[in-house]
Amino acid sequence: MKNPLLIVALMITTIIAIWGIVDTPGLADFAKKTVATEFTSRAWFIMLTVSFLLITSIWLAFSKYGALKLGKDNDEPEFSTLSWLAMLFSAGMGVGLLYWGTAEPLTHFLSVSDFDDSKTAAETALFLTNFHWGFHAWAIYAVTGMVIAYFSFRLEYPSLISSPIICVFGQTRLPRIVGWIADLMAIVAIAIGLGGSVAMGVFQVKEGIEVLFGLQDTGFGLTLGVFSVLCLSYILPLTVDLGKGMALLSNAAMLVAGALLIYLLLMGPTYFLMGGIVQGMGEYLGSFFVHGFRTFTFMDDKVGNWFQSWTLTYMVWWLAWAPFVGVFIARISKGRTIREFLICVITIPSAFSVLWFGVFGGLGFYGILNTDLPILNVVRDNISGVTFYVLDQFPLSSVTTAAVILAAFLFLVTSVVSAAFVLGMFSTGGDLNPSTRIKLSWGFILGALGLVMILSDSIDAVKSIIALGALPFVFIVLLLVVCFLKALKKERI
Amino acid sequence: MNNILDTIMNIQVFAFIGLLIWLYFKPDRKDLTDEHKKK
Repeated sequence: MKNPLLIVALMITTIIAIWGIVDTPGLADFAKKTVATEFTSRAWFIMLTVSFLLITSIWLAFSKYGALKLGKDNDEPEFSTLSWLAMLFSAGMGVGLLYWGTAEPLTHFLSVSDFDDSKTAAETALFLTNFHWGFHAWAIYAVTGMVIAYFSFRLEYPSLISSPIICVFGQTRLPRIVGWIADLMAIVAIAIGLGGSVAMGVFQVKEGIEVLFGLQDTGFGLTLGVFSVLCLSYILPLTVDLGKGMALLSNAAMLVAGALLIYLLLMGPTYFLMGGIVQGMGEYLGSFFVHGFRTFTFMDDKVGNWFQSWTLTYMVWWLAWAPFVGVFIARISKGRTIREFLICVITIPSAFSVLWFGVFGGLGFYGILNTDLPILNVVRDNISGVTFYVLDQFPLSSVTTAAVILAAFLFLVTSVVSAAFVLGMFSTGGDLNPSTRIKLSWGFILGALGLVMILSDSIDAVKSIIALGALPFVFIVLLLVVCFLKALKKERI
Repeated sequence: MNNILDTIMNIQVFAFIGLLIWLYFKPDRKDLTDEHKKK
């Protein structure tokens, strides 16, 4: 067999895709039960892992190792700091932020308002959202990216998840087997995670089109239509080498999203939004560390279920994306020091998330607390449409709605193309130019997995399936950290 | 949740954490250390 990893990875993801298409409720049910068992039993371990990754990042950034370069000692950064920061933004600013911008804080508001008055509930809801998208999430990405960059650029190993394991423990049989399994798990986690994002993006674009053109009851037809256009849109970029074209598309999406943020901040109740952002930032900085260890063990089942379906799901979702985003941020960070890398990757995108949710969530809270708009009913009945409902309350809503559709679509295309590239690279032993045939195969599988998630027609099912794919990666990321710390011991500083 | 399943799942985690700690402190093979220093 020429490339067993590629064949096994394609087989596993194809089987999951076929299972999901033939028996969508069966797969969703299996995912929900398995993930619930895992979350009940190992919640403490997942929270401890993400807190450990953050603490390790802070220690490394301020230790003597912080001065080490992710590259040879005389390597200089490839991109200017400003351009590097912009690319970090675009890596974190996927379709998820567009989808959840208003929806997530308001969903937490609904849950928390059962226990608190509405003003305190808004504060807590914003804190929880900031926590899910903040330092812990970015520490997962940063550690994975740092390990990949260190072994690739400083020790000259291929950009693979298995490289640190083989470098540190040698080319003997056991490290090679463990490395092979780690690569396989990373591939499965990326493929399933991407499938989930495709589904979320398609749901949102479909809702946006309905709002923009005043369509009603389009059923499944429009969803499948959007999905088909998406598949057609990424086939061409997969067959030609667009070089920096994809980065341009991604930056264009980022610009549209940034313009939307500024527009809403200025057109909306600016005093309220800025007040919310500053307060949200303070609440977050004051409590993020303790919250990272919170497992809600002594609370009732309702809170426990909320914790599993949000906090734990998010943490494993970031783990699912870690190899993909890690490779991306590693590639753009050659020549940076560990200190600079960790501080910037963890703090800057987190600060942007606080700003983003402060504006989008703040608009929702303003509507709930100061107007009679039935926003919470929209959250209950149609979560994919919440952002558009809020945009509809402002001037030029057709322009802003079109902007969200455009940005979501661009993010989707660039994510799928980049993921197909990374999957091609991982499954061919680190080949930096995987063949068109391999990239198209992965593009096809990502589309099929996206279709599975779309057919499930439930964002909860999507979240469970992603968590199922990502869970083994909790173990891999810790093993990578040990490899990295062992390698650091040999550095002469 | 089934207690036995819970116990088994957590024993796996404890064993894994133990393995990581052992791997961290385990002395490296000399050939690997030399190769690393060369790079």
